[in-house]
Amino acid sequence: MMEIFQEAASGITNRYITDWVNSGKKIVGYTCSFMPPEIFHAAGILPYRIRGINTESMEIGDTYYGPYVCTFPKCLLQLAGEGKFNFLSGAVISTGCDAMRRLDECWRKTGEDYHGSIPGFFHYFDVPHKTDPHAMKWFENEIRKLILNVEKYYNVKIKEDSLRESISLYNHGRTLLWEVEKLRAHENPGVSGTDAFSIAVSGTVMPREAFNEQLEQLLADLPKQKSSSKKSGKQNKNGNKRIMVAGSINDDIELFRLIENAGSNVVADNICFGIRSEADQVNMEDDPISALTKHYLSNSVCPRMFGAYKQRFDLLQTKIERAGVEGIILQNIRFCDLHGSENGLFERDFEKLGIPCLRLEREYGPLTETGRMKMRIEAFLERMEVKQTDSGGKS
Amino acid sequence: MRPEVYEYNFDWMLWRTLEAASKVGDGFDKEFKQMLPYIPYFSGIVEPFINLGDPGSAFFKMISEYLKNIVTAHEQGKKIVMTTFCFSPTIFYAMDIVPVTLEALTVLASVMWKRGATEYMDFCVELGFTETSCSSQRGCLGAYLAGMGEEIDMLVINTAGICDTNANAFSFAKTFLDKPFYSLNYPASLNDPEVNQYHRDDFKALIKFLEEQTGKKLDHDRLGKVLDEVAKQEAIVGEMEELQRLVPSPLPVTYNFLIYGGRFFFAGMPEYTVILEKMATVVRKNATQGRSGISSGREKLRAFMFYIDHYALNLNLWNWFDKREINHIGSILSRSFKDDSPYIKGMEDVAYNIDSTNLDTMIDSIAMINSRMPMVRSIRGPYDRPNMWLEESLALAKMYKADCLIYNGTPGCRNTWSNIKLIARDLEKAGYPTHIMYGDAFDDRVESWEATAARLDEFINVRGLL
Repeated sequence: MMEIFQEAASGITNRYITDWVNSGKKIVGYTCSFMPPEIFHAAGILPYRIRGINTESMEIGDTYYGPYVCTFPKCLLQLAGEGKFNFLSGAVISTGCDAMRRLDECWRKTGEDYHGSIPGFFHYFDVPHKTDPHAMKWFENEIRKLILNVEKYYNVKIKEDSLRESISLYNHGRTLLWEVEKLRAHENPGVSGTDAFSIAVSGTVMPREAFNEQLEQLLADLPKQKSSSKKSGKQNKNGNKRIMVAGSINDDIELFRLIENAGSNVVADNICFGIRSEADQVNMEDDPISALTKHYLSNSVCPRMFGAYKQRFDLLQTKIERAGVEGIILQNIRFCDLHGSENGLFERDFEKLGIPCLRLEREYGPLTETGRMKMRIEAFLERMEVKQTDSGGKS
Repeated sequence: MRPEVYEYNFDWMLWRTLEAASKVGDGFDKEFKQMLPYIPYFSGIVEPFINLGDPGSAFFKMISEYLKNIVTAHEQGKKIVMTTFCFSPTIFYAMDIVPVTLEALTVLASVMWKRGATEYMDFCVELGFTETSCSSQRGCLGAYLAGMGEEIDMLVINTAGICDTNANAFSFAKTFLDKPFYSLNYPASLNDPEVNQYHRDDFKALIKFLEEQTGKKLDHDRLGKVLDEVAKQEAIVGEMEELQRLVPSPLPVTYNFLIYGGRFFFAGMPEYTVILEKMATVVRKNATQGRSGISSGREKLRAFMFYIDHYALNLNLWNWFDKREINHIGSILSRSFKDDSPYIKGMEDVAYNIDSTNLDTMIDSIAMINSRMPMVRSIRGPYDRPNMWLEESLALAKMYKADCLIYNGTPGCRNTWSNIKLIARDLEKAGYPTHIMYGDAFDDRVESWEATAARLDEFINVRGLL
């Protein structure tokens, strides 16, 4: 059962994408977790989170982007230029961060040089950086503009009822993901961090109906756990350290595998592809557009929401307590200053609380730095071991 | 950070340096020349400024006063706000709040001190801030994070939606210093009715925040006076920038630095108006005589910096221009875009007006000014959209008869490094030889000024511009 999720998480396309395209239906890519995929689902279009996985070279990414730029958008551009996203009929570029929002121009210009590499529907989705009432209004307008443009380009009508149904379906998917989250947080994790992350990533590239169905089956097949979530301060039964991974965007399950193979369980994460929180539900009682506005803008899980550090610190702390996290790997892609500098604050504050942190700067893309990262992760786990031994088993 | 750097506060040292510099020109010429060998690292900026006559000397005095205000703010019962260069300080002066403008103070340290602000930049990294972040904030910010400046009371920015690395620096400082924070946030387009309404709402919320922090209501009369002063200043600047279109340009090359530096430091302060009037007198005289503002009186080439300038020790960039008889005809920082500026013709969409009739019109005016500040105006949306970076660069290059265009920034500028190759290609297609500088405007260690100058010379020579 896990194979379906692993396959979907490991490549640009998967069997569902192929079937979808073969049946003549449309797929629209999007770049940021602040974009509500429910809108496309309600239009009968498959929303697909654009990923940079399996990039093999960077000549196109480096041609259009300058040198001091994060490798994630460069990988997206590389794949776009190579025609790997030709199954998309549209793309939505969000203002996630400066480098990501410039994918708009870089992709358009690449499209001029590499014919056919740019989809017909190409939309710039502006997302505020704060949640004040006037910013909420601005975001709601952006959602309405997006809906209008989708309706116009695809000649569809996104009805309120359809939107409600899509919201309900996505909410159900989030509930199922939360069940996975509970399993991985268990004293004897019922699912590995790598598998849990594969499932979360799959949710962004599979049709939601199929994803929910597959996940329901998987959850039914997984062994049930007796006790509730593990409290901090206790060791895993398998002796592995309980790790949380946070920071820059990551959709590569190999990063999680690398961390777990070094002798740990990734029992929680806080990455924009990952699983958020129990409260991560769109309000069904509200008007759908208003509910989507509040949900997608208020979840200040990304440091692009300036000044909301405390909210994110509290979220991490909740995850740490719930999953009994013993150490945090704070990773960032080079030139990702938003996560990189926030990781500095997390390190300061969590180390003060006695939770060991490892700051790990890396490049996105094939894990070319595997050796260096493995060594640093192993050293970190050793450091945790020594600290625990020195404190008489209490970390 | 080296222990000795902790000996003196950053803002205090800057103030004392400028205080001394402002007095250098007060003596006889012989005294001035005798003094220069004793300030070898500093003479490269003191000499050209003093040689500018009244405007240069007055500018030193005014910056010195600005720094003194920071150092003595709390003694005077005033609040200090940490802010950014592209935020017009008008509202702060109207509310008697003292601004500490990070990038402006980093520039001062960079041009005056042998080591620039690099010790403080590195201190930010010691605290966990990324080394890849923009050096323009990191310089001054490091000093304040180290507690080597007057205590900051609040932070106010307007770069969310414009420049992540800038906004992120203040967001980091807000958490580190645990101080109140307000961020104006801008949509990607500039001039839609709904965007203008948003600008207005956001600015009203900012005023409320400032009132809460200071415990004082906004004084409408005072705001009106400050805005009227800004209007006077922009009229003088507009006249000078109109005369800059002449060939040869009558503006001395460092004048653009004085104009935008003055705007970032002193917009709305009457003393700045006096400096501008002195500058305008020189420019008018040169224009009447058909004389170039370049020291030699000759102009061989006109270069437009389509992003920012380079602030290596002793204002090397301006000296490089001056020695080669190249006129520096401005940068993204130079122009105000006020609606009655003569050069605004054809770019009315980016203009703002100043109307001090009542509170609503004043808030509209000040919100419009802030939304049209450098960067805020033109790099908020895709570079090739109407009113954005490409359109503005081409319009100004044409208007000011540029022979070539030069980009300079910092490696921390994620925003422009993400599309600089695209815009450079478009500018070349439009017929402008375009050079991309790879150094750091504030950190000489990234690429030494000598290497930067060699590449600039290479560009000029290879493209056959001189």
